[in-house]
Formats: sequence, C-alpha cells, structure tokens
Amino acid sequence: MARLNDDAQWIILMGFIVSFSIFFLALVLNQSTVVGQTTAEGVIEFPKNDIRDLSDAITSNITGPNEAVVLEDFRRIALNRKNAVVNYSITPADDYTIVKVHYNNGVTIYEENWTSLYY
Amino acid sequence: MVNADAQLFTIEGLSAALIMIMTVFIVVNTTSVYTPGDAHISDMQLEILGTDALRMMDVPESYGTRSLLRTIIEENKFETFNGTFLNYTNNRTLLGPDHIKYNASYTCRNTADDSISTIVLGGSQTLTGTEHPVRVTKWVRVKTNICGPIAQDRAVLMEVLLWRD
Repeated sequence: MARLNDDAQWIILMGFIVSFSIFFLALVLNQSTVVGQTTAEGVIEFPKNDIRDLSDAITSNITGPNEAVVLEDFRRIALNRKNAVVNYSITPADDYTIVKVHYNNGVTIYEENWTSLYY
Repeated sequence: MVNADAQLFTIEGLSAALIMIMTVFIVVNTTSVYTPGDAHISDMQLEILGTDALRMMDVPESYGTRSLLRTIIEENKFETFNGTFLNYTNNRTLLGPDHIKYNASYTCRNTADDSISTIVLGGSQTLTGTEHPVRVTKWVRVKTNICGPIAQDRAVLMEVLLWRD
C-alpha cells in the first residue's frame, strides 16, 4: 500500500457523499407518494357518509306504527348491499326517546347513542 | 508485473454504478404510484358531489311534507329524478354543464321472504364497462306498498353509479 498514490481520496469521498444524498432524496420522494396514496385510501375507506346517512334515516322517523318492519329493512338491505351489520333499538323514556345505533362493516365499528327531546 | 495503481477507481466506478441503478429503480417505481393516487382524489370528489346531490333531494321543503326523493320512489317519477339530479351535479359557475353521467336504482326488502329486490330507476347513459364509476347511496324512508302488499313505513336504499364522461 505504501507505493500507492493516495492524493485523490477526497474525490472518492465526495463521490460517495453525492451518490448517497441523491439516493436518500429518491427514497424520500418514493415514500412521500406512498404516504399520499394510503391517506387517500384511508379517507375513502372510512364510511363517513354511510354512517351519517344511516343515522339520519333511522332517526328521521322513530314514531311509526311498524318500526319492526323498518328495522328489518335496514338490517337486510345494509347486509346485502353495503356489507355492513346494522342494528338499532328505539327506547321511549318519559318525555324523550333513546335510539342506539350499531354499525359494523368489518373495518369500522360505530355505536351511536341518540336522544330525542321532541317526542 | 501487473500495475495496481487504479484499484480505487474501479471500486468507485462499481459502487457508483450500483447506486445509480438503485436510484433509477426507485424513481421508476415512484412514478408508477402516482396514477392510483390521483384516481383516488377525483373519486373522492365525485363521491362527495353525488352524496350531496342525493342528500339535497331527500330534504323536505317544509316540516311534515314528503321529500323529493321520497316522492320519486313512491310514484316512480324517473323524469323528475333525471332532471333534478343532472341539474345538481352538472351545473358549473360561468362554464357550460359538466359531463357527469349516472345510473340509478333502489333496493327494497320483500316482506314475504326477506329477499332483496333491486329496482332500476334509470340512467342518463348505459354503462358499457369501460367507465370508472363510483357508487353513492342514500337511505330513504318511504310510505308505500313497495316490495310488499301493504302500504306502510319502509326503508329503501337508493344507489347511484356516477362517472365523468
């Protein structure tokens, strides 16, 4: 090794530093797009509209004479068309009504405790 | 005697080549991820637009009256649905109408055997299979003899497939 010329070691050093910095920049760029995709997927997968819609539809009429038929409608159709297990119970109290809504589509589980002061 | 002066240059060349190949591989991978990510964003916007339109159609004009969507299902008024829905989704400020197309149907439960029936309401254009539609749904409370002999309170699920032509 003593006979080798070691004058230009800094060129090699600089080469390595530049190469590795480009490599890490590419790595960061790669990761950032994947993060964006998983975020978008997460937003789409969360059934925000489904849950709001379901809760609104259930609580929009809780004094009908045939609530059992409507409950069965919600349960069967949600299971068939939305792949979601839906159940709810309507419990009348003194001057209000409590509605408990259960929703589970396998990924998101949601329980709502809704109270009415109008009926 | 073989000259061993330039061994470091060879090592540098090899490592630089390796790093460049890995960088190119990662960059090429990166660009292929862009397409699904972009599709998700426009899908999300279309889904919000459709959900809003159906939600507006299911709001009664005053307390105690029937909503437009409920009237449409109870009386099977496809023309009303077609006009209102396209008006809500395709209107743009200061521009011509947008090119959103849809197919609409609703699902009800048969009281006799608990089976599910999907009734096609109609659409502005037939699906050919090359479109990329998103599905929006709306629960509607109706009072009619839908999927059963007696006119009573029922819940049906309105489903709309939306795509931009």
